[in-house]
Amino acid sequence: MITLVGMNHASAPLDLRERACFAEGEIEGALSRLRAIEGIAEAMILATCNRVEILARGDDPARVAVKVRAFLAAERGIDEALLERHAYVHAGPAAARHVFGVVCGLDSMILGEPQIQGQVKRAYETARRCQATGPVLDRLVQHALSAAKRTRSSTGISRHAVSVAYAAAKLARSLFDDLTGRKALLLGAGKMTELAARHLVGQGVPSLTIANRTYARASTLAASLSGTAISWDDVPQALERVDIVLTGTAAAVPVLTRETVRRALAARRGRPLLIVDIAVPRDVEPETNTLEGVYLYDVDDLQDIVDEGLGERRRAAEEARRLLEIEVVAFDRWRQVADLAPTISALYERLHGMERDEIARFSRRLASFGEAERATVEELLRALVQKILHRPTLTLKAAADRGEAARFAALYREIFGLDADASREEGSGPQRLIRGGKDD
Amino acid sequence: MTRGLLEIAIALHAAGAAASFGGEIGKRPTWTRGGALVLAAAFVVELSVLALLGASGAAVPVRSGAEYLLALGCFVLGLHLVLGLGRGLPGIALVLPVVSAAMVFAALVLPSIPASGAALERRGWFVAHTVVATAGMAALAVAFAMSVLFLVKDRALKLKRSVRILERSPSLETIDRVGFHAMLWGFSLLTLGIATGLAMQAELNRPLWGWAAKEVFPIAAWLVFAFLLGARRAGSMSGRRSAVLTICGFALGILTVFGMSRR
Repeated sequence: MITLVGMNHASAPLDLRERACFAEGEIEGALSRLRAIEGIAEAMILATCNRVEILARGDDPARVAVKVRAFLAAERGIDEALLERHAYVHAGPAAARHVFGVVCGLDSMILGEPQIQGQVKRAYETARRCQATGPVLDRLVQHALSAAKRTRSSTGISRHAVSVAYAAAKLARSLFDDLTGRKALLLGAGKMTELAARHLVGQGVPSLTIANRTYARASTLAASLSGTAISWDDVPQALERVDIVLTGTAAAVPVLTRETVRRALAARRGRPLLIVDIAVPRDVEPETNTLEGVYLYDVDDLQDIVDEGLGERRRAAEEARRLLEIEVVAFDRWRQVADLAPTISALYERLHGMERDEIARFSRRLASFGEAERATVEELLRALVQKILHRPTLTLKAAADRGEAARFAALYREIFGLDADASREEGSGPQRLIRGGKDD
Repeated sequence: MTRGLLEIAIALHAAGAAASFGGEIGKRPTWTRGGALVLAAAFVVELSVLALLGASGAAVPVRSGAEYLLALGCFVLGLHLVLGLGRGLPGIALVLPVVSAAMVFAALVLPSIPASGAALERRGWFVAHTVVATAGMAALAVAFAMSVLFLVKDRALKLKRSVRILERSPSLETIDRVGFHAMLWGFSLLTLGIATGLAMQAELNRPLWGWAAKEVFPIAAWLVFAFLLGARRAGSMSGRRSAVLTICGFALGILTVFGMSRR
């Protein structure tokens, strides 16, 4: 069963999310440590500026949740009690529902925002690369991604979504008459920063300066935005000239200190400076906001602005939730059928085993039979077993459709004495349904 | 009669200011337009009161602190209506009618004690001094209003509070620019007002300096604004500190009211 442990912008304050957040380079190592935990068969880590979520598959969701929470606490150095207060846990269909909602942007700070889809895709690719995912998480994420795509296009939820870039532009208009002729400095050349930069250019900001730890990336982005790339060391000088700073690096510690900004203020001759920090962990020391003429906004501060047009997006979100529920039910059916796979395979093994045993038992009497006759008898027996198995298999699948798979599986195991064979068959059973992902 | 008219004026002024305020916050253009009409009516009534006061004393109607505040309030409202500040900059419509209404209300409650020696009010330097100084204070009142708006908006932006009133207000840059230009005009007119006041004293063969409130406070205000303009030009003063100093300068200027009944 799937278990999800996580925290987002609604459940945890920014400073806790900062501490819990995994940097891009840390995820692979964390995944291998997570997979090494007993009882966790599959895992995936999603770490964005607004959420840190760990998806894990294991037999006992309650135990998996405890282990994952302990892992997160140990890995990020967070007090477990604090984590318990701010983290949420979903298991089974609720976990799947949450994942579908997240991918569709229904759980995002900016309701319906599309960037999360790409972030989930990247998190999934990383988990796959580390061989941390398996049939269930593969199916869940792939299903969620395709369902989100369908839901977005049919409800138009993304059309109404305002972006962080929009919020930054609106904030800028609170400070400046208009954005034409303004100079903006971008710190970081990631996807979110690029999107925000494109929006600023669209709003009339003609001059973009881009700085990144890797100069080549800054240079590439600058070329695509008709901006200017500068080296990281030139950032303090650039601060003296620009009106807007947009920062979204993946740095683990603040890259812009209060002191750096304070030094730049003298040369600014009182011109206000808007700093929008969309990075988690934050790129700019929060104390920078105490400087006169400096207005620092982080992702949480943008909440009020991005709530604009919320009515329209909420209506679209309701429709999206309704559509996603159908997808969640479909996934849950698949999962239940997949969960039946060991029972069905054990049942097949059991009856075909009996068939083989009976043939062996009657081998002396069959010795007088010719090769063709013997084959006919064996074929007859196999067909009979298949016919006997056909109805119970269909009944099991129908039970799965009704959400009664577990009860029926237990019943079958008892009637046919399958548990007695389980240990013998473990690991070698034909887990056809799980592996193939087909519910034929 | 003037008292009754003044009461009508303040009632109209308050109603107009409230309608403008409500119209701006609630994004109701009808209220804003209606408020502007009521404010225009208040302006006409206030001008009539001033004309009646002038005619009764056969002099410029700034013989007392109350009359001075009435003239100042009327002047600020005139700036708001005639110059159309409120139309171009929606947020200003929130502040100027309220500031001018407060001045007119103060004129209603302050005791109106006319100064002695009414003959001097007919002299040319006195008229020039009074008109120029009042116009200067009116411009400084606009600068004061902009500074208050600046401080409120700056605080809201710093605390990241979404204040509905402020969403309709101009950008910080605009507020600062309008306030700065109003301060430039106010300072220039205040300088002229002080110069004409000195000329008036010289014409009357009076000492140029007598430590009276109407001499000390305008000079103190002038020094504050002179320092502020110099500092702004040098780039060493802006934003909050500039707004606070503008408010202080205007407060010093308005204290002149306490010296109005002494000549």
